[in-house]
Amino acid sequence: MPKQFALLSLILVAALMLAACVGAAPAAEAPAEEAPMEEAPADMSGKVVIASGATIRIGGSFALTGPIPDPGLNIRHGAEIAIDDLNAAGGLEGFMFELVAEDGACDGTQGTNVGNKFAADETIVAVTGGTCSGETFGLLPILLEARIPFVSPSATNPDITSADCDVCNRVALSDSLQGVFSADFVVEDLGITKVAVIHDNSDYGKGLAEIFQNHILALGGEVSSFEGVQVGDTDFRALLAKVGADGPAGIYFGGYSTEAGLIAQQMSETPGLEDAMFMSDDGAYTQQYLDAAGAAGEGTYVAFLAGDDSEEMNADFDAKYLEKYGVAADELGPFHAQSYDSVKLIAAALAEVATVDDSGNLVVDREALISAIRTVDAFDGLTGTIKCDSIGECGAGGVQVFEVMDGAFSQVKGFGME
Amino acid sequence: MANSPLNVQAAKIDGQTAQKYLIRALGAAIFLLVAWRVITVGLAEGYPASFWISQALNGLVLGGVYALVALGYTLVYGILFMINFAHGEVMMIGGIAGFFTLQFALARGWMEGPWLVVVAALLFIMLVGMAASVVIGVALERLAYRPLRQAPRLVPLISAIGASLFLQYSVLLIFGVSPHSYRKPELISGGLRLGDVFISYTGAIIFVTSVLLMLALFFIIQRTKLGRAMRAVAEDRSTASLMGVDVNAVIVVTFVLGSALAGAAGVMLGFHNTVVKFNSGFVPGLKAFTAAVLGGIGNIPGAMFGALVLGLIESMGPSALGIPTEYKDVIAFSLLVLILIFRPSGLFGEVLSEKKA
Repeated sequence: MPKQFALLSLILVAALMLAACVGAAPAAEAPAEEAPMEEAPADMSGKVVIASGATIRIGGSFALTGPIPDPGLNIRHGAEIAIDDLNAAGGLEGFMFELVAEDGACDGTQGTNVGNKFAADETIVAVTGGTCSGETFGLLPILLEARIPFVSPSATNPDITSADCDVCNRVALSDSLQGVFSADFVVEDLGITKVAVIHDNSDYGKGLAEIFQNHILALGGEVSSFEGVQVGDTDFRALLAKVGADGPAGIYFGGYSTEAGLIAQQMSETPGLEDAMFMSDDGAYTQQYLDAAGAAGEGTYVAFLAGDDSEEMNADFDAKYLEKYGVAADELGPFHAQSYDSVKLIAAALAEVATVDDSGNLVVDREALISAIRTVDAFDGLTGTIKCDSIGECGAGGVQVFEVMDGAFSQVKGFGME
Repeated sequence: MANSPLNVQAAKIDGQTAQKYLIRALGAAIFLLVAWRVITVGLAEGYPASFWISQALNGLVLGGVYALVALGYTLVYGILFMINFAHGEVMMIGGIAGFFTLQFALARGWMEGPWLVVVAALLFIMLVGMAASVVIGVALERLAYRPLRQAPRLVPLISAIGASLFLQYSVLLIFGVSPHSYRKPELISGGLRLGDVFISYTGAIIFVTSVLLMLALFFIIQRTKLGRAMRAVAEDRSTASLMGVDVNAVIVVTFVLGSALAGAAGVMLGFHNTVVKFNSGFVPGLKAFTAAVLGGIGNIPGAMFGALVLGLIESMGPSALGIPTEYKDVIAFSLLVLILIFRPSGLFGEVLSEKKA
């Protein structure tokens, strides 16, 4: 009996495989036969051809899971509103835009997965994202190889843009500004010279913490300890006891909301650190930080890379956001305006290089698009005048410092206050 | 073996003893290296005594949480000889249920009431968390483990890992990916400051409650009829069933007890660290498993002791060894590897009967 079963199942498997081959073969051949007929005349390599009636597909890598899901969703919303606005204005040459959103999870490995997905999809013209620096470092080499330009709304690690990467752009401001500004604030405005620096071992948090540390040292300050934690840790008491033993007057944390909030909260339970200053970064400029820190959040500082807002445009955007998603634009997190501008920047570059061929297809040359993003005329975005420099820094605005007062962020220094 | 010539057997034994001594020598060398590092680096830092006391207190709190979870691993292993890798998630479910009960209590203003009301509300939250964990734990047993009870031992293990992922991502889909923040009532916020040592109320509650729960468990197992049935099933399942013990009922009770302890740990950890989310049971679950192995898996006092040792090592280890605190997990899991190499049956090393081994 078992032998017969074995034989039977073997035959069944063989039959299935045969069926699969037979079934798959025509499907695989069909496009190959058709494609040369349509595209034979011109060399189509390095070009995206969008058939008449199809959409212009822009990839989006957003941190929808991972340590900062709310800000990730908020950034996705910003991009979706930009797509809506572009389409409401008639699209491009009658072609509508479409956002292909993927979850980059704020993580390098997942960023690589998303990058591979976009690179394998020939219809993706450009990418907005990723949300986090680590995620963007995962995307970067794959998109560079595939010649797909990206504009990140929120990845702030300085090394994301460089002279070696022509597809790398961002609307966010580099952490080299934020780290230096924060160190200046701590030393000059608060008069604190002995600080401990903690980071979360992410590309973003650690990179920022190093910039901050270097500038503290350059200002003649003292860094009593430089320690790392893991994204997702919730108990920092052992670390804080160790950090507190060196008696710093303040702690700077490079990382994301939850860890920042918990460190602020647990500092208030650590002898020697009860009255120490706590400062964090744009990753902690969220409601989640305020929730996690609770009462201990009062009097702590966070920095943010703010855009040069135009109030009228922002009011319009905020109204659309509230109408579409039922929450206020600021509720889930920052960077929605940068996300909107990222998509708008891509669209502006596309408008310069896209052409309609004889058969009514929209043709985009990949190399032309890559250089167009850098050379496109300055335009007024939600975050100010968007114009890329030669290495892909396109953002406007400056660094702001906020103090938590009565459970809300209130600006105490920086951009927009002078 | 009985048929092999005597001299071959003797040579084999010689080889085994040589290997045993080699392993012991290696163990001693590692121990000496660690001790040397602690004396030359850790103690040379010159931390004050209050620092070590603070770290030890942090370690005891961690250890209390690990102990409650480790008991669940060890109870189930003692009876079914399987590792319930979804046990960390059972704890997380308790924390999530506790969070929503806390929201319910906050909305009704119970947390601002007189202290008696607050204490009653906190107990209620803990009971709801424990109940939720029990429901999930029993469901796991019924759906994921019982159908596989006669299968090879690897199969329920894989089922447990699948159940762990299923629970994590179900919670992610249902309750969202964002962390849920517990809001501590005024009564248990803050703590006592004794000189340079700070004892947080939540930490003290965790330690005292876990000791009480462990004593209760010990009483149930050693002094009640139910406990005797559990011990009988652990000893020999088929003989116990011949003696009239309802094995299925005993296994369910085991899961109920283990899950209730994990649920209590989940809620208390929620109040202590104030954040729970879908994967917040994973790492504590692994640590508790390490603690259970450290004490000798299947051995109940061993799990309690192993958990406290692990908690202390994790909080004092990095400072004592003079390495960054971010390596605390490396220390914990290196300990697991070392224990598995040098003392596979754990610190409390009971010699496993042929059936268990």
